[in-house]
Amino acid sequence: MGLIGVFVVRMRLSAIGYSMSHGAFAGAALGVATATNPLLTGLLFASGTAFLIGPIADKARLHADTITSILFPLNMALAFVFLTLVPEVGLSSQVANVLWGSIISMTNADLVYLVTLFAATLALVYFIWKELFAIMFNRKLAEADGINTKPFIYLIIFLAGVVVTLSLKLVGGLLIYALLFNPASTVLQFSENMRKVVVASPLVGMATTVFGLFVSLFFDLPVGSCIVIVSTIVFAVALLLSPKRRRKEENEK
Amino acid sequence: MVGFETKKATVQSKKPTSEAIIKLEAVSTVYEGARRTAIKNVNLVVNRNELVYVVGPNAAGKTTLLETINGMLPTFKGKVRVFGLNVKTHGRQVRCGIGYVPQDFMVKPGEPYTAIDVVLMGRYGQVGFLHHPDEKDKAKALEAMRLIGVEELADKSMGKLSGGQQQKVMLARALAKNPKILLLDEPFSNLDPDSRGQIPTLITKLHREKDLTTIIVTHDIHHMLDQCNRVIVVSGGRITFDGTPEKALPLVENHPHTTSLEATHR
Repeated sequence: MGLIGVFVVRMRLSAIGYSMSHGAFAGAALGVATATNPLLTGLLFASGTAFLIGPIADKARLHADTITSILFPLNMALAFVFLTLVPEVGLSSQVANVLWGSIISMTNADLVYLVTLFAATLALVYFIWKELFAIMFNRKLAEADGINTKPFIYLIIFLAGVVVTLSLKLVGGLLIYALLFNPASTVLQFSENMRKVVVASPLVGMATTVFGLFVSLFFDLPVGSCIVIVSTIVFAVALLLSPKRRRKEENEK
Repeated sequence: MVGFETKKATVQSKKPTSEAIIKLEAVSTVYEGARRTAIKNVNLVVNRNELVYVVGPNAAGKTTLLETINGMLPTFKGKVRVFGLNVKTHGRQVRCGIGYVPQDFMVKPGEPYTAIDVVLMGRYGQVGFLHHPDEKDKAKALEAMRLIGVEELADKSMGKLSGGQQQKVMLARALAKNPKILLLDEPFSNLDPDSRGQIPTLITKLHREKDLTTIIVTHDIHHMLDQCNRVIVVSGGRITFDGTPEKALPLVENHPHTTSLEATHR
């Protein structure tokens, strides 16, 4: 998650990330409501949202963020409508899982999916690193140097959708995007070497998740919320300590 | 000069060949909103090894013209052929052979890229999909930096360099791919006074030694006029003057600003 987060943040696709995580959320809600697999419907919605954003933004000549701002509330609205459709009271814990996440309810299968996804993402990033690196630097220049940038951007959007959906059980639909952005933004405060950022970001993500988990167990608070609060605090501390921010202030003096 | 196909015997200025390397036929760009000046019905042939200056007032369509040549603005009417290839269908191949330095490109401090990273990116299009740049690519990137005189900046963070240094790094990036054509958009705008003397001389030298067809967009015609073989004036999206520097020179001397040069040709 932290790994994909780096690309999403650097390619300024943050709003797409929000939108997609809520697409996944809406999808999962539909899954619960119709008693199908929430993972599958979540994935469908997230990738559907992802596939809509890129081309619509290209066609309409609008910034992708504008399209996202329209799809984001739509997905949230859909999610809540679907959740009210959930028929039985017995399912309400499942609704809560979708909303808030529940690490306890993660099955072995979920874990296998996540590990496979991580390995696949790692391999993919290794093979297309050159293209991603150039696009993150400047899309126009990458294009001028003979790289066809569009497919790579769509691929990252799609991957972000898959990653978000599979991680939904961890922190839930309302908080998921924090995990996508916080680690990457934290590490970007410090490093001036993109390779280090890509290695460090997932590590920060993992560390904050584990720490958040312990906080939650210790104080008996919801897991997802604790993880997000911890990772936000880590980001805030990073911001305070950031050599980049200090330099900027010196420049402004 | 390791890595570059340098022909030492041909240092003397060569006459441009009659082989057309860039050919625009009745090209008009489709209006893409206010951020782009459209060009209208432009016909232009640039032969191999020409050194062309494109001058004209702000928002005349100079940048649009450059980005039409390298196929980055694919929506236009008419025909654009570069290396004999249609840029609409072979844009990627065309761009692999064109070194492009955009206008006012600046990296903010703190961006996680070193100068050598940036120069090496110039070679990415040629490295090929799923391949990683190897030692040879790195050697060529360093060679390009040496040529521009910025090799000692290789491991510095791009954002920490001055505007002039960044501009030289971007020029090295354009050269790292061993281009056949060099498109430079206002390449002298951020240079410090020392480099303002050096860089035009260097570009002229590169042009001569490497058979580089070079198009330089500028609003300031005074820098290199004696070394170029053609001046084009663009105004309001049209080519209003196309001729030898000798013919352009008196106009420029009478009217020091290109805006007035354009006015005399209305």
